[in-house]
Amino acid sequence: MNISLDIWTWISAILTLFIFSFLYGDNPFYKFAEHIFVGVSVGYTIAITWHNFLYPDLIVPVFKQGNLINLIPAFLGVLYFSVFFKNLSWMIRIPIGFLLGYGSGVAIPAIFQANIIRQIQGSLLTPKILERKDLLIGSIISLFGIISTIIYFFFSREQKGVSKILAKCGIVFLMIGFGASFGFTVMARVSLLLGRLQFLLRDWLGLIK
Amino acid sequence: MKILEFLTKIPRRIIFLILAIFVIFPLFYPLNLTTKVSVRTLDLFKAIDNLKGEKPVLISIDFDPQSMPELYPMYISILRHCFSKNIPVIVLGLWITGVGIGEEGLKMIASEYNKEYGKDYIFLGWKPGITAVILGLGRSLKETFPTDYYKNPLESLPLALKVETYKDIPFMVSLSAGSPGYGDWIAYAQTRYGVKIGAGVTAVSAADAYPYLQSGQLTGLLSGLKGASEYEYLVEKYGYSKAFKSATQLMDSQSFAHLIIMILVIIGNIGYFFLRRRK
Repeated sequence: MNISLDIWTWISAILTLFIFSFLYGDNPFYKFAEHIFVGVSVGYTIAITWHNFLYPDLIVPVFKQGNLINLIPAFLGVLYFSVFFKNLSWMIRIPIGFLLGYGSGVAIPAIFQANIIRQIQGSLLTPKILERKDLLIGSIISLFGIISTIIYFFFSREQKGVSKILAKCGIVFLMIGFGASFGFTVMARVSLLLGRLQFLLRDWLGLIK
Repeated sequence: MKILEFLTKIPRRIIFLILAIFVIFPLFYPLNLTTKVSVRTLDLFKAIDNLKGEKPVLISIDFDPQSMPELYPMYISILRHCFSKNIPVIVLGLWITGVGIGEEGLKMIASEYNKEYGKDYIFLGWKPGITAVILGLGRSLKETFPTDYYKNPLESLPLALKVETYKDIPFMVSLSAGSPGYGDWIAYAQTRYGVKIGAGVTAVSAADAYPYLQSGQLTGLLSGLKGASEYEYLVEKYGYSKAFKSATQLMDSQSFAHLIIMILVIIGNIGYFFLRRRK
């Protein structure tokens, strides 16, 4: 046993145990750790925003380099606070308008290209895939899965005959997808538990190597 | 009847206790189960392994301390891989709470390989405006990040002088715990600028990342703790590092936990099935 003498490791370990105490039931120790977490996160975010963004991108250009154009986005940012004043609250629409316009303009073509066009291309049986036997079977199953799942969500006509059979196949693919997602979720949550146990047993108590 | 009812309603504290016992046991007595490397992990490893020259790998820290057990070992292994091959590294982050993690890991591994700041690696830190940052790197690195995390002008860093835009970055890895993350890098950097991207993701989001492999938008994928463990294995196998493998140590416990959960799911279903028949 090689117990840590670092005070920060001890604080971290004690806070971890406080959070774990929720497994037994809600209690003041858990609440205490939860509030510390929220407070530290907000404080950290403010500090990083100041040092990494506001100071180098606003204070230095405006006050040290005389680059006054940076005051325009700064002013738009300040308008977000107008929501706290009843008479001026309408002004919040200005930065939101800019944000929505910019965001939509940038996102729509990019997301459409990345998540629809490229995904459709990826599901096609191209000559390149047909040449590769290792990819062929998987690609055919994938294509069949895509078509049958889309048919399951096609509600404009009554599903009967072939479309009913395909829709049922679509349900099977959906269930396999949900099962895979659940399996991955279990794996993720267990990993988080393991990470903390590794910290407690190795870094704090020194019980394992 | 009572046993069947009990099987469908095992108190959660008993389940926690069973899980804790079976998860802690392999940490003290490792079984050293074999690691089978998936094609997805191998693709990411090869993408970095095949790099030559002085162009850097870009790593984006798109996670926070909550996802550290899965993503931090990936980050450390990728850094070891790059530094042992003398590939320069540029690190930035899209998650504000990931900045400390990125800096800590980079400093630790750089000192392990005696790498020099500014020449072998740069830490850019975080900037708000996800799309603006990703698209900005396609226009100019120095305009997007006039200074690094430590307020050094990028013109003063030799590595930064070699990089103007994405065209000087042969490969990038997004270690992602959600959004913003690999999805944004694919939408804005890969689709628009053709950047070659690999991703390391938490297991919970791995299923969503698979379609991007089939379409070729992702070059490789590390999925959760298993992906991290596979990468650690490859880095050791190819002789790049003999350091302690943090994710691998947890894989036995992970396997035990999966086994217990499967057994509990089966037991619960058996109880439910017989109870329903009797009713």
